[in-house]
Amino acid sequence: MTLLALIFLLAFFPAQPASSRYLPKAAISSPVFGPRQVYGLLDGSVIVKCFYPPTTVNRHDRKYWCRQSATGCRTIVSTTGYVAPGYQGRISIIDHPDAESFQINITQLAAADTGTYQCGVGINGRGLSHKVNLEVSEGPHLPEGAELYYVKLHSTLTVSCNFGKDAELERKYLCKMGKKGCYDIVDNGKKVDKDFEGRVLLSLQEDPGSFTVVITQMGWEDSGLYLCGFGTYGVSGETKELDVHVYEETSVPQGKPTIIGVKGSSATFECHYNSLKRSSTKYWCRWKPNRCEWIISDDGYVAPFYEGRVAMYESPDNNTFTIILNQLESKDEGYYWCMTDDVKEQQSSTQLKIIDGEPGLTGEKEVEARVGSRVDLTCHYPCKYYSYEKYWCKWDSPSCTPMPASDQRQPGPGVTCDTDNRTVILSFDSVAESDQGWYWCGVKHNGHYGETMAVQLQVTGGSGADRSLDLLDVDKPSHAEPPSHAEPGVIPKGRASSDAGEQSAASSGSSGESHDPNTVALIVGPVGAVLLVLATAFAVFKYRQLKRSDLVSVGSYRTNISMSDFESVKEYGASNKACVKESQETQLGGDEFITTGATPGNTAETKKAKRSSKEDVDLAYSTFLLTSGNIVQDTPGGDSRDSAAPDVPPPGWEGQI
Amino acid sequence: MKSSLLLCVALAVSLGVILVAGYPWEPEDKDYVLVNNKCQCVTVTSKLIPSKENPNEEIVERNIRILVPLKARENISDPTSPLRTNFVYRMTDLCKNCEPVETELGGKIYQAQQGNSCNEPETCYTYNRDKCYTTTLPFLHRGEIQKVPVALTPTSCYAD
Repeated sequence: MTLLALIFLLAFFPAQPASSRYLPKAAISSPVFGPRQVYGLLDGSVIVKCFYPPTTVNRHDRKYWCRQSATGCRTIVSTTGYVAPGYQGRISIIDHPDAESFQINITQLAAADTGTYQCGVGINGRGLSHKVNLEVSEGPHLPEGAELYYVKLHSTLTVSCNFGKDAELERKYLCKMGKKGCYDIVDNGKKVDKDFEGRVLLSLQEDPGSFTVVITQMGWEDSGLYLCGFGTYGVSGETKELDVHVYEETSVPQGKPTIIGVKGSSATFECHYNSLKRSSTKYWCRWKPNRCEWIISDDGYVAPFYEGRVAMYESPDNNTFTIILNQLESKDEGYYWCMTDDVKEQQSSTQLKIIDGEPGLTGEKEVEARVGSRVDLTCHYPCKYYSYEKYWCKWDSPSCTPMPASDQRQPGPGVTCDTDNRTVILSFDSVAESDQGWYWCGVKHNGHYGETMAVQLQVTGGSGADRSLDLLDVDKPSHAEPPSHAEPGVIPKGRASSDAGEQSAASSGSSGESHDPNTVALIVGPVGAVLLVLATAFAVFKYRQLKRSDLVSVGSYRTNISMSDFESVKEYGASNKACVKESQETQLGGDEFITTGATPGNTAETKKAKRSSKEDVDLAYSTFLLTSGNIVQDTPGGDSRDSAAPDVPPPGWEGQI
Repeated sequence: MKSSLLLCVALAVSLGVILVAGYPWEPEDKDYVLVNNKCQCVTVTSKLIPSKENPNEEIVERNIRILVPLKARENISDPTSPLRTNFVYRMTDLCKNCEPVETELGGKIYQAQQGNSCNEPETCYTYNRDKCYTTTLPFLHRGEIQKVPVALTPTSCYAD
């Protein structure tokens, strides 16, 4: 029963992935696109424009216009030079491969011309064509056909609608025609259809009643009929028909639709544009339901919340500009648009997703320093950036200006990557107030910007010394020495570049002092603190020693040993090595009897050692027993040390412990 | 006994959840492409339609479209080979997807191949429009027979 239920349950699951894994049928339908309905006046003329994907084959292939009938599609005119009889002189076909379209001009229209035609590429009837209905009427008013938009997959569609003064105060909208009417996609209020979330923007233009709608990341499902209008569909206002077709050119897609950023790390966005117009402002903004919030633009504007977090780099040769956003948080998830003022220019959008993880570049994120001190900003990079170009730069809106810094590890020949020495350091010999600000450490590869890490440098001014800061430094024993000779490698003043020398990650700055007269007081301070620390350490050590000896006194024999230590030393003199050794022998407890060559002579001497308590006498006796035992065992040879001891446990000893 | 009963209850609840929640909203008339094989000229699309017996149930309908090129040669790159009279279409071979796809792994994008046996060469029955097919023909020129390369699909062989 359970098994059946399980199988039944599993049967439901395969339905889910189908929608995301497979292309819709539109992907394999004919990529040739043209008007669905064309209207012409008697004795007038009509122009039919058909679009095709500008691949090499298509651009060189034959284009045709044929009339559909029961038996097939008979060619009327084609680019190979054929013109059907009856059409001589009144029809022409012109191919515009650069504009990815071809045009058919028909003049002197007759009523018999009404019918179904096909415009296509290649050979008739092979499917690479589009059906067109031609209607010739007497007139005088002709219904307007839909406006055609031929858009590449994943690119941007820009639609302009102008209705004049009537529409000025009305609601403006764009909707998509479906089976049950027209579904609203976007309007100038807050409404956005969820399929279009993050990728559609409606903006009003200067002319009254005109607006543009921009849709990015066009997918196969976006092909179809649209209506842009004012008022409400089916109730009031006017509409304009738009026919949109998405095609695929088998080449590299434009920009990545989704960029994944690690929390705390950074993300790089590349924005492409078609032509370079110096007058238009380029900006990067965050999508909101009815507007795009400006974040950064190339005239220097940076939104207040993004100070130090975002930078823009322009590369006019490749027609791209790059945006880097670092210090990523979960609330940065959303859609970001690269836009220009010029409406005709390419706009694009990217979705940013944030995941948990470890950033590649690590280091101190906030550094405080005093004016005039030496500061090192360190940046650690992992092995995966070994061959990348690394840099430090100072953030000044809207970009980040590179600064000279040195890489600890010069990438020479060889392919090993050590786990140490992978740091890039930016040094300031004598930091000034103007150096305060944001600094970025980043990697670059093949001309593309990679990960970055931001560090905020704060410079506290003046000689009113922060003693507390010094004491903080000095707490660590490694920094306990006076600052004049702190670092292992002495750095002479005046050298602007950074230096070798293993700096610990937490370089809090003020370990190196310069020869200012104010620093005399600053030197005395740390020295005094050092002495204090030493004194405390000594006191603590002594206390612990005392404590230890207290502990020792629980086993009373010990205390007296230590006392006798002093006594014996006093008596025999400092240089009497034999006696010191002797007292050490008797001192030993436990089962470790290091009998360093116990000779009968020694045993005699142990007896002679001055003892002042009963325990000591017992101790001496047991020692005697043991050593005598050892002497017996010693005959096989050598110093029988620890191996002997466990085998011959002194019978009396256990009682004493 | 008790544990199996508990399992049954859990399964029943989860089934109920799925049936009540329903499928994710899909727009009308979703026709999906399963196969688009340009080499053998086969397309297969599938969609869900209400079943004839029980209109409340949905079943999968597959449309298989095969264009058989009757005037094709056994070897499409060799016009002197005999006419092909034997056309074999295998669903498993057609459904095999060897196109590399981009997947995201740990924040980076990688290219992955979806099929297992993608190294075997396919016998094509017709020309792929985007590829250039050439052959060499003996050409008598000034008393000498030379092998001259000729394009079988001229429109696909342009350089630009």
